[in-house]
Amino acid sequence: MTGTTGEAVKAKNGAMVAYDGQMSFKKMTGGGEGLRGMVTRRLTGEQMAVMEVKGQGTCYFADRASEINLVRLQGEKLYVEASNLLCTDAALHTGTTFTGLRGASQGNGLFTTTVEGSGQAAITSAGPAVVLRVTKQSPLQVDPGAYVAHTGDLKQHFQSGVNFRTFMGEGSGEAFQIRFEGEGLVYVQPSERDTVGGEV
Amino acid sequence: MTGPVVHDVQTLPADDNVNPYAFSVDLNGQWFLQKGKMIAYYGRIDFHGIGHGHLDRLIAGSFHSPLHAADWVVAEGQGKMLLADRAFDVNSYDLDEGNLTIRSGNLLAFQPSLSLKQSIIPGFLTLIGTGKFVAASNGPVVFVEPPVRVDPQALVGWADCPSPCHHYDHQYLRGFLGGLRAHTGIGGASGEEHQFEFVGAGTVLLQSTEQLMPELATGTVPDEAGVPGGGGHAQQSGSQLPQLPGNLGGLQRRFGL
Repeated sequence: MTGTTGEAVKAKNGAMVAYDGQMSFKKMTGGGEGLRGMVTRRLTGEQMAVMEVKGQGTCYFADRASEINLVRLQGEKLYVEASNLLCTDAALHTGTTFTGLRGASQGNGLFTTTVEGSGQAAITSAGPAVVLRVTKQSPLQVDPGAYVAHTGDLKQHFQSGVNFRTFMGEGSGEAFQIRFEGEGLVYVQPSERDTVGGEV
Repeated sequence: MTGPVVHDVQTLPADDNVNPYAFSVDLNGQWFLQKGKMIAYYGRIDFHGIGHGHLDRLIAGSFHSPLHAADWVVAEGQGKMLLADRAFDVNSYDLDEGNLTIRSGNLLAFQPSLSLKQSIIPGFLTLIGTGKFVAASNGPVVFVEPPVRVDPQALVGWADCPSPCHHYDHQYLRGFLGGLRAHTGIGGASGEEHQFEFVGAGTVLLQSTEQLMPELATGTVPDEAGVPGGGGHAQQSGSQLPQLPGNLGGLQRRFGL
C-alpha cells in the first residue's frame, strides 16, 4: 500500500505483495537494531521480523487486508506494537521500550516498539484508526483492546474499575482502561482484540 | 499529502459517526451499551453492570431482557465516548414513538428513553419508544419497504411492520425430489429456496453481505407452553411414533410421503 523510490524502507517480513522496477529484499536480523537491539528484543519478547527493501520503483505492502494508517513523524516518537508496524522509512530508528501494565492487559507483553526520527511509518489496524488528540485539559481513556499506537509526550497509566460486583458476575466489561495524560495523539482502532480485561 | 484527521474532545461529532466504523456519543447522563463496545472516551464516565444498585429505576424503565442482561452495561457521566464493533459498519437510527426489532448481536447501544425488550422471535430484541440507538452491520445497511422477501442471513432488523414469516419456494415444497435436493444439494440447490417475507407498512433493514455477525449465545427463553423457542424439547412434536429404520422422519412428514 505504499511506495518507495531510491532510498530504503524497512518492512515487516513478508509484507510485500507486489512491486515494479528493481527491488532487493534483505532480511534484517534483530529488527535492524544491531546486536544490542537483537538481544533486547529476544529478552523482551517484542519480536519483530524485518526486511530491508532497496531499489527503484514502487513496492506494495499489505498485511491480511487490514487497514493501513500512515504516520508522518518529525522528530517525535511513535509507540506501536510490533505486530501493528508494517513498514517505516529507513531513516527512522526503531527500538524497544517498557510499557508496564498496559501491555500486560492486552496480552502483548510488557514491552512495545518505538519508532523515532523524521519520515513516514505505516501502521496496521482492524478498520481505519481514529486519531484522538490528548491535551492537558482533556485526558483520554482507551480500551486496551482498541489501542494501536500513540505519539507525543503522553503519560499512560492503567485504571481499573474492578469492584466487588465484578466478582459477583456483574462486571461491566469495561473494567480496564488506559488513561493518557499530557499532549499527544492516540490511534484507536474500531475493533477490540481479545484481552484478558475484556471479559471482566 | 495531508495527514489523517485528528479528532479532539471538541471536534468529535455529537451523537454521530466519526467514520463508517466508529460512532461518537455525546454523553450527558446515561446510555445503555453492549459490553466491550466502548473503545475510548474523554471526560468522566463510569460503567455499571446491570444488576442491583442505584440504577434500579433506570433498568426498571428501560431494560426488560433478562437473557441479555449480562451483555449490557450502563455508561453514566459526562463526556464523549467512541463505540465500535470489530470494525463492522455502525450507524445510528432515530425512533419516534416507534418499534424496531433487531438481531441481538447487532445492537450496540441505545438511549434510556427507549425501552429494550426481548422479541418473541428467538435471537432478536425489540426497542420501543423515542430515542436514538446504534447498530452494527456487516457492510452498509440498506432500507427496503415491504412487501419484500429477504434472505435470512442478510436480515438485520425491521421497524414498525408486523408479520415477518417464512417463505418457501413452491419448487422446494412440491415434492420429494425438491426436498431431497434442498437437503442434500444433489441435483443442485440454489440456496435461495427460503426467504423471510414482510408485508404491511414499515421498513426492513438489510446488510449488504450474507455473512452474519458472530454473536454470543444468550440462553433460552422460559420453558412455557406457547413461547417460541422456549424449552429444548418442543421441536419434535409432530410424530409420537418411534422412528423405524428406513424412515425418513421429518423429511417424510414434510413432503407427505
